[in-house]
Amino acid sequence: MKKRTMETSLTGHSGKLIRSIERRLFLRQGLSLGALALLSGCDLTDDESVQKVLTGMSRWNDRAQSWLFNPNKLAPEFPESAITKPFRFNAYYSEDEVRLVDGASYKLELAGLIRDKKPWTLPELYALPQTSQITRHICVEGWSEIGKWSGVRFSDFLARIGADTSAKYIGFKCADDYYSSVDMATALHPQTQLTFRFADEILPPKYGFPMKLRIPTKLGFKNPKHIMSMFVTNEYPGGYWEDQGYNWFSGS
Amino acid sequence: MKPLQAIALAAILAAGSGAWAADAPGKPMKMDEPMHGEMKKESMKKGDVKKAAKKKERELKPILEREAAGSAKK
Repeated sequence: MKKRTMETSLTGHSGKLIRSIERRLFLRQGLSLGALALLSGCDLTDDESVQKVLTGMSRWNDRAQSWLFNPNKLAPEFPESAITKPFRFNAYYSEDEVRLVDGASYKLELAGLIRDKKPWTLPELYALPQTSQITRHICVEGWSEIGKWSGVRFSDFLARIGADTSAKYIGFKCADDYYSSVDMATALHPQTQLTFRFADEILPPKYGFPMKLRIPTKLGFKNPKHIMSMFVTNEYPGGYWEDQGYNWFSGS
Repeated sequence: MKPLQAIALAAILAAGSGAWAADAPGKPMKMDEPMHGEMKKESMKKGDVKKAAKKKERELKPILEREAAGSAKK
């Protein structure tokens, strides 16, 4: 059988078609070269001007994602049988370094554009009406697991404290020094939850006692654990990983 | 109990309690150790998060106070 090469397979085709294929090859190779330059060039990507360009692109990406975000579209929910056991622990520190928060003295602090900034104790929070969800936690590292979380719908809590829901952002500070923020549309999404329980038990320390924010429409690093305080603002608050270059919106 | 049995039992107990201690939360974080996880860059230390959080707090505090004061006037 005659070996089929690009040259032989193109024999007889018009010059216009060949030019078109060459153009596509050039574009594909150009894109590969660009990607390779970014992947291989730690020196290149650490350069301040390159960082500025990449940050600008990422913020543009945030705006596009927030524009595409459908506040009524729900993340998939699953049956109890789909729950991942054991559920993975993940943090920037080891499991034995998980910060222990004293539940008896705990008070959730509120700041910024909130009418009633009275701190909340755990019994007060636990007394609020709660819902449960079995959803998929998707990590930026490339793995995902399904868990069951219970707590108060975050939009209900924001209404209760008189948060200015016309503001742009809500920020969170955590007992393990981590910090992050989300857009108001995501905060008001019906599945965004101030979570107090995991698998029907009080949230264990390794999953964020006394509370975490569960956002099934966003990547895991946008789900802060051990929340100690939150604030509402119109000033972009960023977040730890977001300030290192990870995409801020990071959601669907 | 024979000495060898006692040594074996002590070794098992020590290993068991070691494993428990490794899983139990609440150990002070070693701030100068490299971060865990796949998100980090090579040079990142656990203590970097605390430093960044303090810097962020300094930046945001006056903004939040100004915003809160502005909204209180309305």
